[in-house]
Amino acid sequence: MAESENAGTQGKVPRRKFLVGGGAALAAGAFAAQIPGPAVAAAQPAAGKVSYPASTGYIVYDSRLCWGCQSCMFNCSMAHYGEANPSLSRIQIIRDAPSFTKYPLDVVMSPCRQCVAPLCVQNCPTGAAHIDTGHGNVRVIDEEKCIGCKRCLQMCPQNPRRTVWNPYKKKSTKCDLCIDTPFWSREGGPDGDPACVTGCPAKALKLVRETPPQEDVAGYDVNLVPPRPKMPFGKPPTPAAKKPASKS
Amino acid sequence: MSYGYAGKIARVNLSTNEVTVMETARYEEFGGGYGMGAAIFWDLAVAPGEWDLKDPFDPRHVLPIMVGPLAGTGVPGAGRTSICGISPETFPTCEFWRGNFGGRFGTMMKLAGWDGVVVEGKADRPVWINIVNDAVRIESAADLWGRDTWETQDRIASMVGGRARFGEEWMQLEDTYTTGRPQILCIGPVGEARSRLAALITGSGVSARIGGFGAVFGAKNLKAVSVLGSGTVRMADAKAVMDARIWQMTGGGLVTGSFAPASAGSGSCNPCLRADRRRNVYHAGETMCVDQHWLANPEKQALGGAQSAQAASEAELASEALMKYGASGWSAHFLGLFVSDIPGAPDFFDKKVPVETGIGWYIRYLHRIGELGPGKRIDSAPLPMEQWGELSFRLAFLDAISKRVGIGDALAEGCMRAAEKWGRLEQDLESGALRFPAWGATGHWTLPSAEWAYNYLLGAGDPSWHGLVTAVGKPRGKTTEEALVELAKKMTPYADDIFMFNYAWKGEEAWKTGLYSPHKAKEVAWSRHYASFWNESMAFCEMFLPNLETISPEIEMKYYTAVTGKKDTFADTMRVGQKIWTLERAIRVMHGRNRKAEVFAPFMYRPGASGMTFWGGVPIYENGKWRHDEAPDMYLDRKGVEDFKTHYYQLEGWDRDNGWPTRRTLEGYGLKRVADVMAERGKLGA
Repeated sequence: MAESENAGTQGKVPRRKFLVGGGAALAAGAFAAQIPGPAVAAAQPAAGKVSYPASTGYIVYDSRLCWGCQSCMFNCSMAHYGEANPSLSRIQIIRDAPSFTKYPLDVVMSPCRQCVAPLCVQNCPTGAAHIDTGHGNVRVIDEEKCIGCKRCLQMCPQNPRRTVWNPYKKKSTKCDLCIDTPFWSREGGPDGDPACVTGCPAKALKLVRETPPQEDVAGYDVNLVPPRPKMPFGKPPTPAAKKPASKS
Repeated sequence: MSYGYAGKIARVNLSTNEVTVMETARYEEFGGGYGMGAAIFWDLAVAPGEWDLKDPFDPRHVLPIMVGPLAGTGVPGAGRTSICGISPETFPTCEFWRGNFGGRFGTMMKLAGWDGVVVEGKADRPVWINIVNDAVRIESAADLWGRDTWETQDRIASMVGGRARFGEEWMQLEDTYTTGRPQILCIGPVGEARSRLAALITGSGVSARIGGFGAVFGAKNLKAVSVLGSGTVRMADAKAVMDARIWQMTGGGLVTGSFAPASAGSGSCNPCLRADRRRNVYHAGETMCVDQHWLANPEKQALGGAQSAQAASEAELASEALMKYGASGWSAHFLGLFVSDIPGAPDFFDKKVPVETGIGWYIRYLHRIGELGPGKRIDSAPLPMEQWGELSFRLAFLDAISKRVGIGDALAEGCMRAAEKWGRLEQDLESGALRFPAWGATGHWTLPSAEWAYNYLLGAGDPSWHGLVTAVGKPRGKTTEEALVELAKKMTPYADDIFMFNYAWKGEEAWKTGLYSPHKAKEVAWSRHYASFWNESMAFCEMFLPNLETISPEIEMKYYTAVTGKKDTFADTMRVGQKIWTLERAIRVMHGRNRKAEVFAPFMYRPGASGMTFWGGVPIYENGKWRHDEAPDMYLDRKGVEDFKTHYYQLEGWDRDNGWPTRRTLEGYGLKRVADVMAERGKLGA
């Protein structure tokens, strides 16, 4: 049988709830760096605190539009590795969690947030996880420097974590907005065409330059309904539906 | 190992509790999916000669559950899973038949490292098969037997996932991780009762609805097959796969004449994933294209009236119940989505009859003519006939067939066997009240879609293949002849014969270039060869491809070449399709199929056979001119059908007298071993 990655936390406060309100406390306790608060604070950090230049690209999404087809996951692993492997995908679309739940909680979208305060970067002992200043400050992991300690997997405050384990190379990886995609015909990066966004048939993903609100996990879940959609079937969706609560 | 394939197939013997591994490479010449499944069925069930292939509930029944090389590669619409074997549903004999289903099961099978699982034997207690990557285990289903399909899947997911919280964390499988849930194919109470209406269900609303294979699971004491994988599918050229996808989404594939959006999703089979999940009865983007027939509120919605909010809500609950019980919404449906004015229709429902008919409708028919009801010759207990069509009736129906109580015992055997038991079979097939064209398959299209009708006959039931339905429709902006000339160019290897699209059904032209001519044989053959390779073995949803008005066969070849790296031409793939179809024929022949057995139900030979058509009807060539005609009065000629069979057998390399493949034909496909077995048992075509 499979093992729960967070088996040790069973019976305690659910990780998601804990981290939404208490990510800073966890990170500070786990590693020495000081953690800035939400986006506003990060833009103007208090003296003595670590700050990072904000990424110039973010993937936002509309969880109501997603079809749950996982095209983005396939595209991600194929663009980076030339193979189809959803477990290597740096965006995760989870369906049926919890089981047989109906709209809007039937699909959970989990792209990397390119956090303003990136705990993966902050807690990496080798500097493998770093800010790529040459590519719009995207938070990336340098595979050459990664020693496979899995610290970044543990420190990612999102549920499920956005840092990804590559079991074949024994290294961690994460979304780089398709900066390094040997199997992708287009240019990636914050000014380019990430494979997940370009390949999304539902237009449920979008690359934006503005930093989304960092306060809660729903800040990246935005309205992407086009003004006049042309759908092959039935009526187009409208933005009136209540958004899923606390789904990131 | 070739690209796209996992390289191995699990062989699970429930009688001996043995799990062995078969090499995929041995079957790669059959493409994948159904092609491989049919070849495995031949090798394990037919060639040994230990079983007469008659009883689908025999423990010797071998059930291949197979996926194709394009599954799990990001190719949209190609993740379907095929199942084949002796169908409990077909009538009068249980024929070799196949079904397939979408959802995410096929993709997960590949990610677990398998091209399929072959189930044989019979467990001595209820079991389920648990596949987690390389590990395949037979587990006790003592706590699952009797539970509905949703509950079953929930429990299995919990058992496989352990303490993992789906949706909130990654699950560790040795050194790999996944956020995915196990994908589970299972039966409900209807399958456990071995009802011939039983479907296999995966997810909330995806079903293998054709063939009644859920009953075979039940007979094997097999409750479910669960699969969870965290692996990789290798492909020849990932960049080319994604380029093809974008080409399809953004221009090259502007699909206008098909049901399917060009931009279909890839992680599952379903091109019909709805753009708006809120409109789905089911969750996570699942939708059932055909089982929504169960949703239709009879006499109101289906016959043109509006459906109230309450009725819609009840229909939704009824559909949910259908899936939980594990019944085929197709076999059991009450009214199809389409009704038609048909000459000679039974005198009720305003002289309209559903184009598609199922057992629910038949119950109503018998009730209306006074044959069936409380205390009547056919006692309807425990069904509340006054509530026919309502939620309460449908729940009672499902309960009755799953427990086989009262009339439920006869209904569980399917429409044809129930009608036979009640002594109504002949008259109702004659009148068309039982609108089942051949082999007892639930009625779908009949005529004027003649290629569809012929495929009922040559196969073992509803072909459920729409590849030419829209393509031959009335064109826009060009003449019928211009459109057919373009279409004919795509009909490799029968290209440029536009008369294959001639649906002339009476007079000299019908025999010369129409329904009973060698030209029509080419169209029927093309549809079978294409479907055998591309829809059933490469597993493209048939509602998605072919799209002959626009991107076919270019898009199929782009995906196939990019994933497998093979240098085959489209003509090569069609040849493999013909080979699969010929092998399928050989299995049927060994089972007893011959020319004499291939006859339509009597209603197909009289007015009323034709149902409705879309897209302006079908092309008809008469008096030197082409036109489109809805042909509502079309019906078949007995001698004409026999003449068609002669042309068809000849085209396929089957003998004229019996319709049996010849040695030359079989060996031409490298099927000498098949020819040898057929010769040994006196079944080889002369």
